[in-house]
Amino acid sequence: MADRPNVQAPAVDVQDLTVAYREQPVLWDIDMTVPPGVLLAIVGPNGAGKTTLLKAILGLIRPVAGRVLIFGQPVEHQRHRISYVPQRGSVDWDFPTNVLDVVMMGTYGELGWLRRPGRRERERALAALDQVGMRELSDRQISQLSGGQQQRVFLARALVQNVDVYLMDEPFQGVDALTERAIVALLQHLRSQGKTVIAVHHDLQTVREYFDWIMLLNVRRIACGPVDQVFTEQNLRLTYGGRLATGFARETDTTAALASLTRKGDDTNGSPAL
Amino acid sequence: MALPLFDLALDYTLRTVALGAMLLGLSSGVIGTYAVLRRQSLLGDAMSHAALPGIALAFLLTQSKEAPILLSGALAAGWLGALLVSAITRTTRVKLDSALGLILSVFFGFGLMLLTFIQQQAGASQAGLDRFLFGQAASLMQRDVAVMGGGTTIVLLTVLLYWKEFKLLAFDPDFARVLGLRVRFLESLLTSLLVLAIVVGLQTVGVVLMSAMVVAPAAAARQWTDRLGVMVVLGALFGILAGTSGALLSSLTPRLPTGPTIVLVVTGMVIVSLLLAPNRGLVWTWARARARAGQVQADTILHHLAALAEHHDSLEYGHPSAVLRTTGLSPQQVDHTLRVLESTGLVRRIDQDRWAITPAGLIRVRPPLHAAEIEKTGDSPAHRVANPANTAREGPR
Repeated sequence: MADRPNVQAPAVDVQDLTVAYREQPVLWDIDMTVPPGVLLAIVGPNGAGKTTLLKAILGLIRPVAGRVLIFGQPVEHQRHRISYVPQRGSVDWDFPTNVLDVVMMGTYGELGWLRRPGRRERERALAALDQVGMRELSDRQISQLSGGQQQRVFLARALVQNVDVYLMDEPFQGVDALTERAIVALLQHLRSQGKTVIAVHHDLQTVREYFDWIMLLNVRRIACGPVDQVFTEQNLRLTYGGRLATGFARETDTTAALASLTRKGDDTNGSPAL
Repeated sequence: MALPLFDLALDYTLRTVALGAMLLGLSSGVIGTYAVLRRQSLLGDAMSHAALPGIALAFLLTQSKEAPILLSGALAAGWLGALLVSAITRTTRVKLDSALGLILSVFFGFGLMLLTFIQQQAGASQAGLDRFLFGQAASLMQRDVAVMGGGTTIVLLTVLLYWKEFKLLAFDPDFARVLGLRVRFLESLLTSLLVLAIVVGLQTVGVVLMSAMVVAPAAAARQWTDRLGVMVVLGALFGILAGTSGALLSSLTPRLPTGPTIVLVVTGMVIVSLLLAPNRGLVWTWARARARAGQVQADTILHHLAALAEHHDSLEYGHPSAVLRTTGLSPQQVDHTLRVLESTGLVRRIDQDRWAITPAGLIRVRPPLHAAEIEKTGDSPAHRVANPANTAREGPR
């Protein structure tokens, strides 16, 4: 990107964001400031509003209150700098098109009205497919893809846009261990180029390994910041209502938390930690 | 039929009818593709029914039966219906299907009421409006066809201009918005085109059955292709074919209403497509399932024969086919499968009804994992069983 006005501005800046479906608040007074060049995991239980937060940042959902800035400006003015990897289930995979065509959709925004994707867009789409290891499948009908392949097609479609901020809704859902490693490497490569990646994540065991920032969310913001400061036993208990067992967070807190949990009795149903 | 009359008809009426039906099939086939892919088939049904009061009101206000005036009324009413459906779903808890049903019946009921009112007013000239209910291709005039041609041109040009936008909108509207496309505008544009395509067909097919022309050609086209471009073209072709043949058929047969005839023709196309289309067709699916079942039977029999051969430690020992019925297959299935396997050289007949697996068959069910290892030890499954030393030892049994 040639001109980058306001370099100091955070990549994503959410202030006082409240989203409600009818009377029920789904997100309540959320603040979140994400500096450029970090890999942030949004973590929280089902119904915590993780997908809603992504959609609100993208401007797909109108909030009741609050505002979202992307590099200091409203998202409507920053469309060329932000992309989205939705959940696989959000589209009908029986749509009559193939892999390359879906990936090329990532170029539609910059092409503008009347222009069709041409050779240049094709090359870029193939390069993006290369990055996710799907180049051989570029002619494949999308209804014939496995879950992991669908996920990678969506990833390639976002990569083609070559933006500064990527929002991803559960990018590891339904992919095998090998693909997960490949996607993580890709995300870390993006970060090394100064891009910002915000991903909804479910596996607490890999948070520390994959991400450097974390947003703990349960309708309200529990905590947001670098993993080694924020990913604590205390915060996890607040996020998951204290029923989630231990073993993921900082050593110092773990001992105390373990003790308190064991005191509570057997209803914690064992620890998912190894 | 009197020949001179037929000639005359071919000259003017039939040509007009054929042209009108062609335009109707073309526009509804193209726009129907998007309606079907966006799962909005029922929107077409609601829009076409909603058009009826517009036609009646246009007549009441102007006392004119000119197609442009009546169809403008239809356009306005259809569009208003679409607007209301979208407003209802956005502002209330009523779901889309209920909103569609609501608008459809309210508008259609109001239209029927107005129609009855017009007919009671008498005056022979007013009687013609009920042709909009079930369609009457024979009543098409050249001027009507010109209006239809205008509507069709708008539909086709817009789809061409917004090709990639409409494609993305149909596949992933959220992503379209993330890219900065004006999704709300594109959606209303597509809905407007749907209303326009419906209005183009109203005179020929009628409000009651018009939605079939939106849904059926596209549904049939989807069966034959996996590419959007081909699907749009095929939808147009199916629409043209159904529209023209149905309209001509009804024009040549006295008192055969056009709309139902066209719908029957297009339904035939859908049935053929559902059954016969490669890959997606039912016959195709059925044949594949059958082939797979045959493969499973063959595998089962081969595994049993292999186990028997290993148990007897001999490839020469014949086993009666009755033994293989313990697999749960019927005698016919066993006999049939054995014959198929024999023809591919995986089993062989020892005598009358005694069968054995061949070395090739054994390798098929017990594939050697490491070729190198076998060479080293000389221990392939076939080798192991067929080893002369082994058979000699077991021979006397």
